[in-house]
Amino acid sequence: MADLGRAALVVSLGLAVYAAVAGTVAARDNRRRLAVSARNALFCCFGSTAVASAVLATALVRHDFSFVYVAEHTNRALPTSYSLSAFWGGQEGSLLLWLLVLTGYGALAVGLNRKVLRELTAWVVPVLGGTAAFFAFVLVAVSSPFDTQTAPFDGAGLTHSLRNPYMVAHPPMLYLGYVGLSVPFAFAAGALLSGRTDERWIVATRRWTLAAWAFLGFGQLLGAHWAYTEVGWGGYYAWDPVENAALMPWLAATAFLHSVMIQERKGMLKVWNMVLVALAFELSVFGTFLTRSGVVNSIHSFAKSPIGGWFLAFVVISSLFSLTLIMWRLPLLKARTKLESALSREATFLYNNLLLVALCLTVLWGVLFPIVTQVVKGETRTIGRPYYDFFLRVFGLPLLLLMGIGPLIAWRKTSARALVRTLAWPIAASVACGAALVAAGAGSSRPGLIAYTFCAFVLATILVELVRGTRAAGSLFTLVSRNRRRYGGYVVHAAIVLLALGIAGSSAYSHTVERPLRLGQSMTVAGYTLTNEGVHHTVSPSVTRTFVDLRVSGRFNGTVKPAQAEYAIPPEPAQEVSIKTDWSRAQDLYVIADELHQKTGLVYVKVLVKPLVNLIWIAGFVFLLGSAVALWPDAREQRRLVTRLAPARA
Amino acid sequence: MPTRSPARLVVALAVAAVLAVFLVYTAIAGGSTPTLTPSQLQAHSGKLAIVGIVVGPVRGDSHGANGLRFTLKDPTGASASRVRVVYRGTAPPPLFAVGRSVVVSGTYAAGRLAGNDIVTKCPSKYTTASPKA
Repeated sequence: MADLGRAALVVSLGLAVYAAVAGTVAARDNRRRLAVSARNALFCCFGSTAVASAVLATALVRHDFSFVYVAEHTNRALPTSYSLSAFWGGQEGSLLLWLLVLTGYGALAVGLNRKVLRELTAWVVPVLGGTAAFFAFVLVAVSSPFDTQTAPFDGAGLTHSLRNPYMVAHPPMLYLGYVGLSVPFAFAAGALLSGRTDERWIVATRRWTLAAWAFLGFGQLLGAHWAYTEVGWGGYYAWDPVENAALMPWLAATAFLHSVMIQERKGMLKVWNMVLVALAFELSVFGTFLTRSGVVNSIHSFAKSPIGGWFLAFVVISSLFSLTLIMWRLPLLKARTKLESALSREATFLYNNLLLVALCLTVLWGVLFPIVTQVVKGETRTIGRPYYDFFLRVFGLPLLLLMGIGPLIAWRKTSARALVRTLAWPIAASVACGAALVAAGAGSSRPGLIAYTFCAFVLATILVELVRGTRAAGSLFTLVSRNRRRYGGYVVHAAIVLLALGIAGSSAYSHTVERPLRLGQSMTVAGYTLTNEGVHHTVSPSVTRTFVDLRVSGRFNGTVKPAQAEYAIPPEPAQEVSIKTDWSRAQDLYVIADELHQKTGLVYVKVLVKPLVNLIWIAGFVFLLGSAVALWPDAREQRRLVTRLAPARA
Repeated sequence: MPTRSPARLVVALAVAAVLAVFLVYTAIAGGSTPTLTPSQLQAHSGKLAIVGIVVGPVRGDSHGANGLRFTLKDPTGASASRVRVVYRGTAPPPLFAVGRSVVVSGTYAAGRLAGNDIVTKCPSKYTTASPKA
């Protein structure tokens, strides 16, 4: 079995190298038969990688502990679903998943565009082949999932906090996102190499970018929900380098998705778009370097591994390759039109881009800061949450405001007076909302109040657009189906508003109280009274659990039972928080217990009341819905694009 | 006719330059914390964070008057340096235990760290071996 997996990976490496080399020669010399051969090699590379993946998946399901990887990440007692999730639970398996998704995406994207964009896809094949060759090389020579040993009786098992449905879905979602960004990058490189720098590469990859971006965004929210419910510290995002590794490419891809609209419509920002797509791709690989190299301290116990250096080399080489290509083709990347006014939709999108990229680079600076200070000052210094929170407010709040202005402001140019007239209803709604919030006591946090007010403004602009559009189209369904991209975008904007409301509410207006509680004693937090009714102990072969019965009264009646558990295999402790959602007040009562003394009944209790936190998870589903609407095939849009791009095809 | 907008470029570069200066200033001048291993502590004092492996015995409790007391050693094991820690505050995460890699923040003086925050490594992916309790 392991031999078959190893052989399949060696074949994948050979095919990927062939696709890269033969594809380059074919595209350069315009040799069609060789180009077809290189393309077929890419398709077969997916096939051989699928064989290798099937071997590993079978070994995981069958608990074949002769595979070192299977023994290190599963055990006999592990249910099949979690055994399968161990595919991406370890370094070697996750790299194999990366190669599988990359070759699958590549084969599909090239296959779908091979006829309409022949010259461009001829160059896409070697770019994707080169990227696949790198991952196949790492899997064959540096970090193989097919190392074998004398099979032990049982494996080490999967750590308990990862035995969670969210952790089954979170990593593959992120990989679908990370790897998906390879497709627009390869098409951008193909456009530069072939000299076909018109808008067709953007049209061909728009859905790929959107899908990758949606997976990356939703994957992060799944991870955040896992952290909130499983890790037990009361938060959902710690600005850790490993978490930031997923946020950075998502921010760059968000900027790219907006700026390509300007290029499609006005022929502007061509260089900028090339830079953005390269940045998003490089950041996705750089994130992998960060998580596997051990160069930065992270709360995630990612071990130092030999692949870090290889990834760094790949990032450096591919970045130089991208920059060289862009510089070489600068004369072909001149804008068709110019920015006419600072008050126009184009300008608003540009501001949006600058803020998104600024936020992305701010996060990157925070991640790199310990390395920079180590090199410059000889001492590692880290910057924490206050730095990130500050810049999230500085860049995030204007971004929120622009999200409301952008869709309503006119193309080319407008006057301040006309803009105010257009935005009269949303402005009135946000002012009224702000006044109501101040009256309700929300003025205790100025950033929170501003965020709520801006959210009201954006929601009002979306409503105004929907009402106006529905009146004109006759029905909401007709309106959305006529321009799915635009209205899907509005739904995504609504999701971001929900996200902003959730973040602002749960951070700016949360309450936290921590204190010891003896048997029979009570504590009150934000109207909830918790009474200690005793510490109890349960024992089973797999876990020993000590929990406290806390009776809740006041705003609602019930019981919470936060616990501390000690698992047998693998032997590790776990914090089991208790979360009760008070739907009538749209907030969570989050209770953590530690130092539980069964004899005396003494327990240290930490209670957090987190308003609107559930909007963050709801935002995830609204985000998916909006992305799906925007991704749905649209025949009208296709016809419009064909008409618009006709001169470029000629 | 294809045209370019130098004004746009100037604005973008200006924004980027101001931003870069601001970021560098903010990050270098304040808000950052030295994050050191026990062997790097010479000539340091004040607020800092120490990365290390917990060495037993672990005594006391974080809510008590004497705090939670333990020792940290270098994470690589390359140096014999040790530092004593007295931690007070919220109980450390459940994964805090002898042999674990942790980051403790606090105030360092006279060879001792008065800790107020402990972060243990999350048992996430890509560990090379199963964690030791």
